[in-house]
Amino acid sequence: MSRATLGWIVLGWIGYAVLPWYGFDSAVAPTLSEFVLGGSGLVLGMKGAWWLLPIFAPLLMLLRPVMRPEGRLADWLTASGILGLALILLQGFSIGLNGWTFGILKALFGEPGPHQAGMGYGAALTATSFLILLCHGLAARGWCRGDAFVTSSIGIVMALIVVFVFFPVSTILASAFGDDKGSFAPILFVMKFTDRSIWGLDCLSSDLRCGVAWNTLFLGVLVAFGTTALGLAFALIATRTSFRFKKLLRVMSVLPIITPPFVIGLALILLFGRSGALSAILYEWFGVPRSRWIYGLPGVFISQLLAFTPIAFLVLIGVVQGISPTLEEASQTLRAKSWTTFLTVTLPLMRPGLANAFLLGFVESLADFGNPLVLGGNYEVLSTKIFFAVVGAQQDQGRAAVLSIILLGFTLGAFWLQHAWLGKKVYTTVTGKGDAGIPLPLPRRVAVASYLAAIPWAIFTVVIYAIILIGGFVRSMGRDYTPTLDHFLTAFRVERADWGLYFSGSAWNSFFATVKVAALSAPLTAAIGLLTAYLLTRQRFSGQRAFEFGTLLSFAIPGTVVGVSYILAFNVPPIEITGTGFILVMCFVFRNMPVGVRSGIATLSQIDKSLDEASLTLGARSFTTMRRIVLPLLRPAIVASLVYSFVRAMTAVSAVIFLVTAEYNMATTYIVGRVEAGEFGLAIAYSTVLIIVMLLAIVAIQFAVGERRLGRRSATANAAPLAVQAAP
Amino acid sequence: MNQMSTVSSLALAGASKTSKKEAASVEFRNVTKRYGRVVAVDDVSFSIAAGELVTLLGPSGCGKTTTLRMIAGLEMASEGQILIGNRDVTHLSAADRDVSMVFQSYALFPHMSVLENVAYGPTVQGISKKEAYAMAMEKLALVGLSGLEKRAPSELSGGQQQRVAVARALVLEPQVLLFDEPLSNLDAKLRRRVREDIRELQQSLNLTVAYVTHDQEEALAVSDRIIVMSNARIAQTGTPRELYEEPADLFVADFIGDANILDGVVLDQEGSKARVRIGGITLNLPHRGASAGPVKLAVRPDAIVLNEDPSKSTAVSGVVKKASYLGTQIEYEVDSPVGNLFVVQYSRKEPIAPGTPVSIDIMEHRGVALIPGS
Amino acid sequence: MKLTKNFAAATMLAGVATAFSFLSAGTAQAQGALVMYCGVQEEWCRAMTTAFERETGIKVAMTRKSSGEIYAQVKAEAANPRADIWWGGTGDPHMQAAEEDLTVEYKSPKNEELQDWAVRQWEQAKHRTIGIYSGALGFGYNTELIKSKGVEPKCWADLLTPKLKDEVQMADPNSSGTAYTLLATIIQIMGEEKGFEYLKALHKNVNQYTKSGAAPAKAMALGETTVGIAFMHDIVTMVVDKAPIKVVAPCEGTGYEIGSMSIIKGAKNMDNAKKFYDWALTPAAQKLGAEAKSYQVPSNKSTPVPPEAPKLNEIKLINFDFAKYGSSEERKRLLSKWDNEVKNLPK
Repeated sequence: MSRATLGWIVLGWIGYAVLPWYGFDSAVAPTLSEFVLGGSGLVLGMKGAWWLLPIFAPLLMLLRPVMRPEGRLADWLTASGILGLALILLQGFSIGLNGWTFGILKALFGEPGPHQAGMGYGAALTATSFLILLCHGLAARGWCRGDAFVTSSIGIVMALIVVFVFFPVSTILASAFGDDKGSFAPILFVMKFTDRSIWGLDCLSSDLRCGVAWNTLFLGVLVAFGTTALGLAFALIATRTSFRFKKLLRVMSVLPIITPPFVIGLALILLFGRSGALSAILYEWFGVPRSRWIYGLPGVFISQLLAFTPIAFLVLIGVVQGISPTLEEASQTLRAKSWTTFLTVTLPLMRPGLANAFLLGFVESLADFGNPLVLGGNYEVLSTKIFFAVVGAQQDQGRAAVLSIILLGFTLGAFWLQHAWLGKKVYTTVTGKGDAGIPLPLPRRVAVASYLAAIPWAIFTVVIYAIILIGGFVRSMGRDYTPTLDHFLTAFRVERADWGLYFSGSAWNSFFATVKVAALSAPLTAAIGLLTAYLLTRQRFSGQRAFEFGTLLSFAIPGTVVGVSYILAFNVPPIEITGTGFILVMCFVFRNMPVGVRSGIATLSQIDKSLDEASLTLGARSFTTMRRIVLPLLRPAIVASLVYSFVRAMTAVSAVIFLVTAEYNMATTYIVGRVEAGEFGLAIAYSTVLIIVMLLAIVAIQFAVGERRLGRRSATANAAPLAVQAAP
Repeated sequence: MNQMSTVSSLALAGASKTSKKEAASVEFRNVTKRYGRVVAVDDVSFSIAAGELVTLLGPSGCGKTTTLRMIAGLEMASEGQILIGNRDVTHLSAADRDVSMVFQSYALFPHMSVLENVAYGPTVQGISKKEAYAMAMEKLALVGLSGLEKRAPSELSGGQQQRVAVARALVLEPQVLLFDEPLSNLDAKLRRRVREDIRELQQSLNLTVAYVTHDQEEALAVSDRIIVMSNARIAQTGTPRELYEEPADLFVADFIGDANILDGVVLDQEGSKARVRIGGITLNLPHRGASAGPVKLAVRPDAIVLNEDPSKSTAVSGVVKKASYLGTQIEYEVDSPVGNLFVVQYSRKEPIAPGTPVSIDIMEHRGVALIPGS
Repeated sequence: MKLTKNFAAATMLAGVATAFSFLSAGTAQAQGALVMYCGVQEEWCRAMTTAFERETGIKVAMTRKSSGEIYAQVKAEAANPRADIWWGGTGDPHMQAAEEDLTVEYKSPKNEELQDWAVRQWEQAKHRTIGIYSGALGFGYNTELIKSKGVEPKCWADLLTPKLKDEVQMADPNSSGTAYTLLATIIQIMGEEKGFEYLKALHKNVNQYTKSGAAPAKAMALGETTVGIAFMHDIVTMVVDKAPIKVVAPCEGTGYEIGSMSIIKGAKNMDNAKKFYDWALTPAAQKLGAEAKSYQVPSNKSTPVPPEAPKLNEIKLINFDFAKYGSSEERKRLLSKWDNEVKNLPK
């Protein structure tokens, strides 16, 4: 038996016999005895919580292989793991806060029955131990090439996905099939589902509006194409040209991703709205009548392009860098012109990147909520519909669930299409053979097209941010341009008191909470996301597709629905975590993980599998292999997912609106409040501060992770600079 | 950049440098590997003795690479048992087996220098960096790459990269060393050189080596024994000579070396020999279990003698259709009543002109074999 | 070396555990005192919190959300309520929560000091929610933009003039309580049939149905629309902020909202919630609104009405039937009727 297995057995015992089994009632501070032995599952079980006693059995079973190591270790581990998990789940779900949770149990044993609180550290530790020991047992049976690290990783990621994605999501989706009272009503579902306001096609035949589903789909496809094309243009310019302002371009392209929601929309209104700055100029100089064109599809499209192009860029830059120059050289030696080479070799090799960028753009557009809210006008999309179905005057959660199902359907469709398009082709370009090729300079027309797309866009971005920057320093953007620092003072005043600094600004509270939550969730997101990508590309196990689908699920569902579902799922035992910062962290981790997974998959599919295998045969275990071989080659993906998850944790709105509490109020909910109150100046000032924090964080992340060294030569002296050069 | 530099022979260390660890045997017992419904390796059993170089030979898709990867632990057997040095390793992961592998693509880590690549094995074993580097330098010297250790793999030629891969595999002095088509990325001349180097290295270090290739010439040149695989099964196991001279079936006869597969008739048996008739020629061959009746024979190209002297007419005559002069030998295609023949003749100066009628004779001691069960 | 195998798993787990312990620590103190969901603007919420803390020494954990969000959250948390008191926000969700048994009955000793409309709502809600302030519905126009239009709307009917085509903005009643109040108001003034005729005619002049009820006020201030329909106190906030806007109390009369307060069923700090409830009805607490730039009319008769606030006695208020139009059945019927008959009409 390995020491790791033994260690987990010990941990399982500690969880049951030492640590407190239940979470504490938050009102009272626990005493030491409650914390160490008194509250443990074993002691409570003896004292009358009889339902905790059966868990003793699998723990005893685990002792048998410890005493006699030469037995059938695999069988003992597997059996006790399964039994232990089953018992914990069974008691957890059948005994709730107020007694039996299932009608049938109430009928059998009478009401209210025993009751218990949510699981605490002990229960969590014991359950985890059972899970990992089960995985060790399976590994010992030869699953996943006998690699306990791999089986444990799969087990943990799967368990986390089940707990934090499937469980809450299925809770809320179930409400799609119920009526107001919660009873099963399939006909109502069909009626809601086939509603004309969702699927109507009136806009084709008359000037009536089309169904919200078509609107969403159309916008999503448009945005996905737009972001992928722009992201590609930026990526090509950044890696394959000697453009002088490349670094600036990169910063420009990343800015929108770190901009809190509403702000881009606000800036667009201030620029293009009927009384916007640009509209005024056009009217006064050229007599172009002022109009409200920005409200509706054009406005949402532009703002989503601004917001999501960086994601495409982050995904694509790793892919473009990874393309083996030798392949392009091969094509050129076959007399292909550089344009033909680009079209027939370079572009097809980018397919995984393009497909992933497209998928992300599409899904992001579908789930986006802030931009349609501000700029949507009468162009309705599913995400806002869902939000107002929950919080609006209708307050129809069932309708929200139905709309979510449609949204989910679109996402899954896109996911499936992406798979079909990528097919079974191989896109490996980073192989174990040293690649001595020199990246091709871009063919003229590609370069010109890239410049034409990227530079105006970058300028546009600069203008938008100029407006945002100014907005924080004037009294009222669009009306009163008197310079002022009031907004910053209101939000971020710091006073010097006798005992030190006193943060009296109204934003400090939410600011600290936001930074804390973001800093915690980013590394977790990246770790789980990349681990998942590694498992998906490098390991083969049954249920892999379902696993992959699960990782995408929470991303595909609009934040509002996720928020409500988290409350429904985690407000009552066995997992009672609402009101804590933990639930915010987990919510962010699982909402943002897909980006880590996608960029990880895109980058990993370029890295020759025999590199991992070589490392394995040299005696490095999977974990070492991951640390020493895979991770260094994955640096672009690590940066992408760290940056993305940090930033998203700071800028997400819809999911957290239900999860924030007095202690854990988030910056975005504060900003939304300001926007609702019409205090744009304060909202913009706060956003500016957030943008600066995020910029610093991105630079820090780039610096900490460093650049991927592939030992390739570059065509020009300054080609391929990943913002910060950490490695020589 | 990719031009080959002159390759120096692998500098062999003397007898003093023999491995500290003993080479180990490898044994497969009824091993099957399935991918879903596809059977990649079907009930295969064989063993490789310690210190032996065994080649897994076969056309692509025959299961030879899967077999090799199962030795390495990169694939897990669906059924059966795998033993290395008499220890059951069937369920052990790659990292737990004392086996190293040289990959077809070399699989050099692009983000590490040559030295870091070679020292990787020892460092992940927890050996100190200094010691690991010393071990790596020693192996780099062994493969003649001293002085290049600071380079990135991409800055080396193909042959040099290949030797880095070998050095990296050797550095842990594994019980078993595996080669997966190691020469396929090298040019013809270099190939011959490197395969000899590998053979020398194997013999001087007394390594157990499993070697995968689809090139029968390469297999014949380096192996102690060859395992020929076809359609997920072993077709035949034996020394190069056994395979060449006594192919077990049509596939092996055709795959190992060139062979003319001819129809014949067994007339009768006498002890271990049988009288076989091909066209008008009667040969006395080991019967290999064949009973009287029609049979197929593998006749090596150099077992056929052509004679353009019309006076020496034998039972079979034919017409030369094509002649190719290759320096050490001349190759012919001959039309004859027993079929189209491929003939190689050595030590002749003047090729026989196409169109010339020839008489044909078969020398039974030069590589003619009955194919059992055909 | 064998331990490293699970090192990653262990690290990850340790990370989760740290996050857990690190973050869950905070809630302990939070619930000892009073947990409040606040449905008005941040500043007002904060002012209330600090004032109550100073007054009683009870620590308040306040979370600000829109009233629709609070309702959704209270409903989702029903099995294990987290909040004690729900203060502020338009009355409809409070009524709905009362209807669904999410809040509890309470009779405050301060009830006698309150305006009639507040007490009437309390009675209609079966003692489960009470009015703390009220604000009348109205509209406003941007004084600069209106010049070129040549009209000066004073009544609901004036908004139908073709001169204002594409110049009126209102919220979507499906998403906004404000707009639903408009819908109910128009129906109560004109009757259901005539009311819908009016809304259909208005539809031609509406440039956008915004999601949020206060958005038309902001759009007016920015010059994005000429006329905006909203609660008058929201428009006043813009006027105080020096926007060129004139507030109009429609001549036909208008409806109003009652900002309410309810105690959550199953509140963990019931005594403190009641203390807050009583305190929030005092003039001292109610005058904080004006200080935080919110110009609603307070429900305690003796609270001074802020000078900027639209004077309720100068506005022709209709006798708004909160019980009928607040019930979820009637609401659903009217909303889907509006959806089908008005919203999807061609312009």
